[in-house]
Amino acid sequence: MFKDHVKLAIKNLQHRMSRSLLTLLGIAIGIMAIISLMALGEGMQQAVTGELSSLSDVIVVSTGGGFFSSFGSGGTPSEYFTDRDIATVERTQGVRDVSTQLSASAFAEYNGKKTLISLTGMDVMVMTLQYSNQRLESGDLLTENDQNQIMIGYGIAHDTFEADVSIGERITINGKKFFVSGIFAKQGMSGFSSDSLVLMNSRDFKKLTGQSNISIIYLRVNDVNEVEPIAARIQDAINQNHGRKDFARATTMTSILETVQSIIGILQLVLVAIASIALVVASIGIMNTMLTSVMERTREIGIMKAIGATNQNIMSIFIIEGMLVSSIGGIVGIVLGIFGSQGLTVILNNFMMMGGSSNLAPVITLISVVLAVTVSLIVGVLSSLYPAWKAARMSPIEAVRYE
Amino acid sequence: MNTNVIVTENLSKTYGKPPLQVFALRQTNLYIKHGDYIAIIGPSGSGKSTLMNLLGCLDKPTTGKIFIEGHDVSTLNENELARIRREKIGFIFQKYNLIPTLNALENIELSMGFAGVDSQLRTEKAKKLLEMVDLSKRLTHKPSELSGGEQQRVAIARALANDPSIILADEPTGNVDTKSGENIMSILEEINREGETIIVVSHNMTIAQRAKRVLRIQDGVVTEEYV
Repeated sequence: MFKDHVKLAIKNLQHRMSRSLLTLLGIAIGIMAIISLMALGEGMQQAVTGELSSLSDVIVVSTGGGFFSSFGSGGTPSEYFTDRDIATVERTQGVRDVSTQLSASAFAEYNGKKTLISLTGMDVMVMTLQYSNQRLESGDLLTENDQNQIMIGYGIAHDTFEADVSIGERITINGKKFFVSGIFAKQGMSGFSSDSLVLMNSRDFKKLTGQSNISIIYLRVNDVNEVEPIAARIQDAINQNHGRKDFARATTMTSILETVQSIIGILQLVLVAIASIALVVASIGIMNTMLTSVMERTREIGIMKAIGATNQNIMSIFIIEGMLVSSIGGIVGIVLGIFGSQGLTVILNNFMMMGGSSNLAPVITLISVVLAVTVSLIVGVLSSLYPAWKAARMSPIEAVRYE
Repeated sequence: MNTNVIVTENLSKTYGKPPLQVFALRQTNLYIKHGDYIAIIGPSGSGKSTLMNLLGCLDKPTTGKIFIEGHDVSTLNENELARIRREKIGFIFQKYNLIPTLNALENIELSMGFAGVDSQLRTEKAKKLLEMVDLSKRLTHKPSELSGGEQQRVAIARALANDPSIILADEPTGNVDTKSGENIMSILEEINREGETIIVVSHNMTIAQRAKRVLRIQDGVVTEEYV
């Protein structure tokens, strides 16, 4: 019986080919939007997760406003850690590889133009840890033996001075000359922007500025599982050193990861919600087409009832028709979505400069495909329910009425 | 129970509400035996269609009862009526009323499908029925590719598909030329000779007079004519 209904539904759809195709296209576009946006969101999740989870044993302790306000951004904080704080951190159990990020303001001069910049100094180990994933426009990351060499951000290289700075050239900082050995690629809107960075190793930094203003302390823990309690202990201890509750903040990559993931999660939800509007419109399209078709087939429905079709038979014929349209549309939409997400990614990578080597790649998950198929089937059933019910209610007398 | 295939008891159908009530059919008592060949005649608006719809279980009476093979069908719900139509009644309409998207074979199989007949059996039987109405060369033709007479023959085959107790033919020759009409009537009569009960509704007296019994209907009142 079911097979007959399917056969009948297919014949009806074929009979109204262009109308069926247009209705189907509506669903396909809706599903395409959902699939590609989900793929994009999943891609973002994975890119961020991949980048950050390798650092899961790292704790970043920063002053004041926390990690995001100072992480690699070249901004100069107003408060600094003391030697006592460093000692406190080093004494904490389960901690290894303590290193620091130093910041200070300095004057830089290039090609006759002098400007105020913020200078960042860090141990090469930390530098490697923090920037090894980042795309370079040219040159290389600093190594342990480099002396009087700096790395600069895209903005410093191209926008700060009157002429572009390139590899091997010298910038004078506080009267001392430094070789540019690496330039970071443009990062744009990303929160981890390195565009205005001027980076040197901590030895050079101390020699040049004569100070060691520590704005960030990096450390690793021996046991990844202990990372959260150790972070809490360090934060409390440093705050106690300063007699304030909000002097320092210790942030773990895990907590950053969670924050970023939840932000992306919300973003993804919003995107999918917007895409769902397309699907709602498409389902209204199905309903509309089906209602028209029910009206046109009044006589046919009457005949089927006269020759013995029950109300359920009629309903199921129409619901199957709706499901066929929406599920074929759904499959087409999934295929389009796979291509669409590739296209979207190319556009995003070009215009938003998502930065670094963390080039965004769309990820189509099985879940999103299953979800898309399920949603399109449900849409098919729901939007054909009313037309089908209307058809089933029709009187068989219509069939024998003289016209 | 008895040899009556249809019995009606004080069957009435009215439309509208009291002061404006219209009686389409009044207090009709009919006895139709197995193997009967009956013609119902009457001018348009006389209540012919109403009687047909009631006998064919397409409509419910306002008062009175209809028994089909002894079972009271006037109280059945829609789905039970659908079952009666499927199992007991075969319809032939003036305008053939084939499903336009299905070919001849599929049209016949459809009504067997509603009755739950196995698909292989269906095809076999549909072919046999089309052979009987001399259309074995038109199995896969759609209604739009068939002449009026051919379509009506497909409709006859469809009406017979579920071995009904009664064939209800509503102006079966109304839309075809005389020759095809003659052909259709002789097929119906052949079926009747084999024991099938046939009820034909017609304007056409020459058609009506071929029947064994003629019922005249006028203003909702049915009278038997003896010819």
